[in-house]
Amino acid sequence: MFKSDSLTLDSKKIKDFINKESNPFLKKSRNNFLKKLGEKKFNIKEEYKYTPLKQSLEKKFSLEFKIDKNIPSNIEKKILPYIVNDNSVYQIITLDGKIIKKFSNIPSKISFKNFEELDKKEKKILHQYFGENDDSDSDVFSALNGVLWSKGLFIYIKKNQIVDNPIIINNFYTSERNIFSSQLRNFIFMEKNSKLSICELDCALASNNFNSNVTEIILEERSELDYFKIQNDKNNSTSFNSTNIKQKRNSISNTFTFSFSGDMIRNNLNISLIDESCYCNMYGIYALNDDSHVDNHTSVDHIQKNSISNEHYKGIMNGNSNGVFNGKIFVRKEAQKTNAFQSNNNIILSDNAKINTKPQLEIWADDVKCSHGCTTGQLDENAIFYLQSRGINKDKAVSILINAFFDEIIQKINQNIIKDKVHKILSSKIESYLNEH
Amino acid sequence: MLSIKKLKVSIENNLILKGLNLEIKNGEVHAIMGPNGSGKSTLASVIAGNDNYKIESGSISFFGKNINNFSPDERAMMGIFLAFQYPVEIPGVSTINFIKTALNRIREFNKKKPLDAVGFLNTMKKKMNLVKIDRDLLSRSINEGFSGGEKKRNEIFQMAMLEPKLSILDETDSGLDIDALKIVSNGVNKLRTKDNSTIVVTHYQRLLDYIIPDYVHVLIDGKIVKSGNKDLALELENKGYDWL
Ligand SMILES: Nc1ncnc2c1ncn2[C@@H]1O[C@H](COP(=O)(O)OP(=O)(O)OP(=O)(O)O)[C@@H](O)[C@H]1O
Ligand SMILES: [Mg+2]
Repeated sequence: MFKSDSLTLDSKKIKDFINKESNPFLKKSRNNFLKKLGEKKFNIKEEYKYTPLKQSLEKKFSLEFKIDKNIPSNIEKKILPYIVNDNSVYQIITLDGKIIKKFSNIPSKISFKNFEELDKKEKKILHQYFGENDDSDSDVFSALNGVLWSKGLFIYIKKNQIVDNPIIINNFYTSERNIFSSQLRNFIFMEKNSKLSICELDCALASNNFNSNVTEIILEERSELDYFKIQNDKNNSTSFNSTNIKQKRNSISNTFTFSFSGDMIRNNLNISLIDESCYCNMYGIYALNDDSHVDNHTSVDHIQKNSISNEHYKGIMNGNSNGVFNGKIFVRKEAQKTNAFQSNNNIILSDNAKINTKPQLEIWADDVKCSHGCTTGQLDENAIFYLQSRGINKDKAVSILINAFFDEIIQKINQNIIKDKVHKILSSKIESYLNEH
Repeated sequence: MLSIKKLKVSIENNLILKGLNLEIKNGEVHAIMGPNGSGKSTLASVIAGNDNYKIESGSISFFGKNINNFSPDERAMMGIFLAFQYPVEIPGVSTINFIKTALNRIREFNKKKPLDAVGFLNTMKKKMNLVKIDRDLLSRSINEGFSGGEKKRNEIFQMAMLEPKLSILDETDSGLDIDALKIVSNGVNKLRTKDNSTIVVTHYQRLLDYIIPDYVHVLIDGKIVKSGNKDLALELENKGYDWL
């Protein structure tokens, strides 16, 4: 299926699939994506340099095109533990992308739906913007997703609408060893002066699940979005994600990508600051062990002047785990007075763990402030001894140091419920590190 | 209290301590002097249990127990405290939380109830006063961005909080101005009891005017080559180490 720069698909079956699309707009959109796939312009060699696709995908998944429809039994029982009974959050549960209404408590004043439920106005927005703001020109999986996505979330925050509680979305996936089934596409449109916090958690209910999740986000003037992704899947899943944000004047985006578990995860985060005076913060934590492979590819594109981007990713790798960080910063010619910061810090805990980190800066404007830096090291032995010499045992010392390492990112989380969640996952991660030593 | 016998210690296959003997009884103050690189900090680290160093032979006993294989935290709980020559900066860990964790570990070991927030705060205030350390400093990350003198003062503050039986002060006087030196020495003296003992490693006789030692030892090339009373320090100040 994967040649070095392209993807061969059973075109007859795919075409049949597309022909079943009843919405003419979406049918056209799917065909557009199919065309991109056919053009084979993807630079897989470069873009997936440290994430070896061929071996891992061919080994784990059947490459025959089929869409799974069998939902495992007693699904509710499996989902129930994830329900948070907390009226300071809105919760959405999706099963292969379909919103399960009885487990979801989002008020109707918030436009939050599957695509097939849209009213006239919502459809108009979808048709105006959908499918134009992703990275399908350069990423083969985003293009594939554009053809194959089966369900999608549509989130539309109206002018001046402030969503008071964070929205927590638990996505459950059911397909097994199938690349084509768990493909979701989300669309978030925020009008002027609106505000939203959203947190996505992925969870596979079958082992060896492959899922792909492409999100297009448009932030109009002065809107503000917090977007959290928490990846802590224990079921060996493979996950390809692409989050694409387009920001207009004075808008703010704060993205947080937390990766704790999963067999292979690829996260593309692309932010495009198309107007003046935009602000984006991109934070990430990856804490890995066993054979996890997590690849964060981020890009921020400063197109107009006076914008600020601030990126900070931190990672710890143990066992045989593998981390990849690639951060691109573009500053276009018109983007004078840009401030762009990037840093990536890594701690390697074991001999077999690895990190590949690479900043990529392309700057065409001359009046900019730009800085980047990456570090890779081990836990500071002297610090461990110092803590121990005061009566703190080694395990506790290690855990204090790991917590301290991530603390500056965790402190940036402005939603307590999410902060607590991340803290909890991190603590159990640290415990597993200690048990492995 | 502490008994070191024929101690040989190496790091990365270099023998640093070459058969060292030292006996310290309850309530005594011992000064250790010696040229740069002679092994003073090595000795201090090894007593505190730093496992970067390898004990080739010999023994370290604390209250009659051989502690060669004890971890640094076990030793700390038994009452050994090292004030570092170069205190480590640990970003992201608040000094106060750290000391609270440490103190309660040690209390637990001694079968005492952990201090609650109020109890801890009261103790802290008392000890802060003793070494004249600023509250602001303690709310920062451990030693992060502290000046040289502030780091040393923080070491003594921790000593005051943890109330060890044996304190090892490794060049705590280096980098302190005269006033700070007096404050720190005064703190050390106030914490002295007839039971707890102190080892002061120093290059300067001046400190020994404030913290008066019962014994002075000269450490050269991994061995104690001469021991005496406080007059020995004066003699070293005048003559250097060449005559030994
Ligand atoms: N990792 C190491 N590898 C090799 N030699 C080392 C190592 N660490 C320390 N040493 C050596 O051990 C010797 C003793 O060092 P130590 O720090 O104990 O000296 P010191 O007496 O405290 O000196 P100072 O007065 O300068 O503080 C020195 O020669 C030093 O270079
Ligand atoms: Mg020294």
